[in-house]
Amino acid sequence: MELKEKIVSSYLAFENDVDINSEIHDIRTEAFHNFEKLGFPTKKLEAWKYTSLNSVLKNDFSIFPNKENAIEFADVKKYFIHDIDTYKVVFIDGKYSSFLSDTTHDGKDVCLMSSALSKSKYKAVIENYFNKIAKQDNLTSLNTAFANEGAYIYIPKNVEVEKPIQIINFTTGNDAATMVQPRNLIVVEENAHVQIIERHQSLTENAVLTNVVTEIFSAKNSTVDYYKIQNDKDNASLVDNTYIEQKTNSVVSVHTFSFGGNITRNNLNFYQRGEHIDSILKGITIIEGKQHVDHHTLVHHIEPNCESHQDYKGIFDARSTGVFNGKVIVDKEAQKTNAYQQNNNVLISDKATINAKPQLEIFADDVKCSHGCTIGQLDEDALFYMQQRGIPKKEGKALLMYAFANTVLESVKIPEVKQRINKLIATKLGVNIGFDL
Amino acid sequence: MLKINNLHASIDDKSILKGLNIEVKAGEVHAIMGPNGAGKSTLANIVAGKEEYDVTEGVIELNGEDISELAPEERAHNGVFLSFQYPVEIPGVSVTNFIKTAINETRKAKGLEDMPAKDMLKMIREKSELLEIDRKFLSRSLNEGFSGGEKKRNEIFQMAMLEPKLAILDETDSGLDIDALRIVANGVNKLKSKDNAVIVITHYQRLLEYIVPDFVHVLHDGKIVKTGDASLALELEAKGYDWIKKEVNS
Amino acid sequence: MSKYTEEDLEQELKTKEYEYGFYTDIESDTFAKGLNEDVVRAISKKKNEPKWMTDWRVEAFRVWEKMEEPDWANVNYPKPDFQELAYYSAPKVKPKLDSLDEVDPDLLETFKKLGISLEEQKRLANVAVDIVIDSVSVATTFKKTLGEKGIIFMPISEAIQEHPELVKKYLGTVVPTSDNFYAALNSAVFSDGSFCYIPKGVRCPMELSTYFRINEGGTGQFERTLVVADKGSYVSYLEGCTAPSRDENQLHAAVVELIALDDSEIKYSTVQNWYPGDAEGKGGVFNFVTKRAICETNAKVSWTQVETGSAVTWKYPSCILKGNNSVGEFYSIAVTNHYQQADTGTKMIHLGKNTKSTIISKGISAGKSQNSYRGLVHVGARAENARNFSQCDSLLMGNACGAHTFPYIEAKNKSAQIEHEATTSKIGEDQLFYCNQRGIDTEKAIALIVNGFSKEVLNKLPMEFAVEAQKLLEISLEGSVG
Ligand SMILES: Nc1ncnc2c1ncn2[C@@H]1O[C@H](COP(=O)(O)OP(=O)(O)OP(=O)(O)O)[C@@H](O)[C@H]1O
Ligand SMILES: [Mg+2]
Repeated sequence: MELKEKIVSSYLAFENDVDINSEIHDIRTEAFHNFEKLGFPTKKLEAWKYTSLNSVLKNDFSIFPNKENAIEFADVKKYFIHDIDTYKVVFIDGKYSSFLSDTTHDGKDVCLMSSALSKSKYKAVIENYFNKIAKQDNLTSLNTAFANEGAYIYIPKNVEVEKPIQIINFTTGNDAATMVQPRNLIVVEENAHVQIIERHQSLTENAVLTNVVTEIFSAKNSTVDYYKIQNDKDNASLVDNTYIEQKTNSVVSVHTFSFGGNITRNNLNFYQRGEHIDSILKGITIIEGKQHVDHHTLVHHIEPNCESHQDYKGIFDARSTGVFNGKVIVDKEAQKTNAYQQNNNVLISDKATINAKPQLEIFADDVKCSHGCTIGQLDEDALFYMQQRGIPKKEGKALLMYAFANTVLESVKIPEVKQRINKLIATKLGVNIGFDL
Repeated sequence: MLKINNLHASIDDKSILKGLNIEVKAGEVHAIMGPNGAGKSTLANIVAGKEEYDVTEGVIELNGEDISELAPEERAHNGVFLSFQYPVEIPGVSVTNFIKTAINETRKAKGLEDMPAKDMLKMIREKSELLEIDRKFLSRSLNEGFSGGEKKRNEIFQMAMLEPKLAILDETDSGLDIDALRIVANGVNKLKSKDNAVIVITHYQRLLEYIVPDFVHVLHDGKIVKTGDASLALELEAKGYDWIKKEVNS
Repeated sequence: MSKYTEEDLEQELKTKEYEYGFYTDIESDTFAKGLNEDVVRAISKKKNEPKWMTDWRVEAFRVWEKMEEPDWANVNYPKPDFQELAYYSAPKVKPKLDSLDEVDPDLLETFKKLGISLEEQKRLANVAVDIVIDSVSVATTFKKTLGEKGIIFMPISEAIQEHPELVKKYLGTVVPTSDNFYAALNSAVFSDGSFCYIPKGVRCPMELSTYFRINEGGTGQFERTLVVADKGSYVSYLEGCTAPSRDENQLHAAVVELIALDDSEIKYSTVQNWYPGDAEGKGGVFNFVTKRAICETNAKVSWTQVETGSAVTWKYPSCILKGNNSVGEFYSIAVTNHYQQADTGTKMIHLGKNTKSTIISKGISAGKSQNSYRGLVHVGARAENARNFSQCDSLLMGNACGAHTFPYIEAKNKSAQIEHEATTSKIGEDQLFYCNQRGIDTEKAIALIVNGFSKEVLNKLPMEFAVEAQKLLEISLEGSVG
């Protein structure tokens, strides 16, 4: 059976498990019909011109792993940022793992979507925010149709969360190929501050397809630091749909580190609804083999006096493919916008491919918008210089690549995350040197 | 030539000029000095017709006529020249092309034919020699990538080309090296006649050694608070502004 | 219009409406409206074409019938009804031109209004002009001078008769009939256009120039241009166009093919000021053009364009850099005002080794117009050491227009070096004040600043074109400041 049919026919089964009389379910049902109509995206869609999911969709995914799978902390410790204290919301095959999690309701809510959707205590927030900015496109609709579990984070006014929050989704793939669809909702009220680290990790070689949707609402004067660490197994594919709405004076930054996985598609959307907003989108992609990473960003400048900064660096080896599709829209009302977009790529293999499409759509005249996109090689002179000073070529190359990517790391605010990324880069580049330049 | 009476001006409801009076007659050189933020550039901009400022009170007369309704270019056509404190860059437009356009537009306003190319070239040659400007410089984009001193020299070059009646030099000396200062001052002196007037805005006495003012004014907090002859500049150089501020406040 | 007097300019400045909006009342021989295979055959027959040509057209028509009109460009317009257009229009009084006296006096009058008096041209300018009025070439000069060098420069309809072997060899090799909707349509019904062949090692001694002009209401203009530069040759080709103002939209779907053989160079410059419609967005030309060049080893092709006209423009002059060390360049200024829409750019396809391309695009939007740059830089897997530099700058005037940049960059070779930059800006208040202070009024100041902004591209135009282009920029931006 084709995956789409399988999904469509499993919707009835899904309805057995959820409250079908809730308003949320009306939203699900509408989204379900939307997906039924649209199906999976194909390369014919301009937005999917350079990324095909066909090879992934061929898998016979199990959509509802019914067995509860337990895992030992010791086995997965390495996937956590474990050297500092954090809140944790952990899922195994889409099901909440209380054993691995560390949630809270103390002055804020760091807990589960499933309970937020069902308990009256959360009703107001859910009504105000759930599915309010997520698009009606193919895969977001698919996620919404089955939205039930994920992280729910609510930070009230003036609360500065004292430690980072980790959201980790494990897939065991013990039985078969698995598809999971986490749904996260993050609401950060006025003047509040939160740091979040998100990770998707499969634990076996079986195929995985994760189709995650995250909605983030950042109210006046709030700050959100979001880190996505993507270093999954070769057979795990990820479609990450993140939607962010910002209000006046808020600062939201999203760093995406893509080092692993099979096909990774990051749809990152920012909507600026207020003035003096700063949106920061950064990413490092270092891939090899047949890996494919596609960054699809949108920054929509709706009101005046806001800024956005995009900086994506990519290093592509072997037969890997990188895609960068960055779009900046500046509405007529959004005067005095400053929008910057940089995408720099290095190809280190003859078989690697990069496709870039940095777009500007500008309807206001008093703005400063620029984008730059380069594809090039490492500086051979610099490499020679290093070799001359005794640094072996491989290490020299790694250092140069690190330096190339470093502009993205500069703005990482959690030192442990930075260390982790440094380590991952070193591993990825096959060298054993510290990068703390 | 220029007569300003009780000028009050503000920007975004912030009041900057607060009852300023000055009269400049043909043949005279006036220096305006004063602490940073006193309103010197504001005064210069308002005389040149910058629209950002709200003139709330007072009259500006040029040769006996109220010019408040005139557009900046009309004032320029009437002989007002402002050497900007911060000249702007216009990418892709060469100095030559720019000055040619400026001259011909001014001539057009006076009902004259365009200046014949031959005369234009001759004049450019003369004036660039006068100001010791390398001709190569003239084919570069206006002020783009010019050093601070080059921008100022270019302003005076344009002044020489346009032969204004009333030239206002806003800190034209800052950024100039010692030789350039002399060259520029010489240029200004050569252009001086009994029919035109110069207002020099400066922080330093040094320029005034070359361009000797008939009057020195101190602008403080939006008003001319003291007027004297050339010796006042020396006194200011030696003593600073505090004593004047005290005098005003007492 | 390379001869363009100051009185002309003054006249233009007075009339803010489209200054070439007059209609020449020449008796025209126009086909009934509508398109089917018979019409295609009739066009071919009317032009006395050999069978291979008729077959080629018919095949193109069959392909076109199955195609759908594209809608991916960032433009909105009522789709033309292809059955409502007439596909052939030639002046009835078809002069065999030995001297200008034989030309229809009305036509001469038209030329005058356009600012080109042929006698003047012959004497003063070193330019050979192949004037196309409503599809059929009526005046060709300088043919003899060119003939001595073996250069062929003639209407393509004549070339089909006189040099069938050349036309047959190259026609449709760069833009295949099936390439796109409008190219297919053009292949089926093209009425005339220019053909140019520069023999081996010959440097064409003068700029070759064609003027296009749409005259008859309700006729589509389907020009076909084919330029072949044989090994080691050089040619600079100028294309300019004006259209009279009309209320109903007119369609212009031209195809231009350039073939640059080894070591040759083609410079192709266009000034396009088809009627843009009036200030309310009524009328205007739809300009859907396919222009493409193929560059063999060491060959170089430069496209330079100044686009100020047309209600809707859809145009991407491209280079296929097939040969090693070949070079492609694209320099463009696109100005849109009122309700104009332009979606233009280029494709640089790097296939050979050490190929180089440069893209400089300047978009200026005013009024309620939309101006898009759409470009592709593709580096194939075997294109070692390919280099590209792209720069797309937009200038916005006022708050009702839009500027868009859609660059596509595809690299499949690790030695590729690609740089793309884009900026958006507006004319600064302080720049305007500075100009005003020096006695330059705002309208003139804008013209000056826009000219400066466009300099890098204007500099690429042949001298006489550059002057005209500057004036066009000025005219098209009139009334854009309130
Ligand atoms: N466009 C503006 N917006 C807001 N404030 C302004 C503006 N222009 C001038 N001002 C303010 O008005 C005051 C006078 O400024 P002005 O530039 O005239 O001073 P100045 O005497 O020329 O100083 P300096 O010696 O530093 O050049 C300052 O406080 C300045 O900040
Ligand atoms: Mg000042």
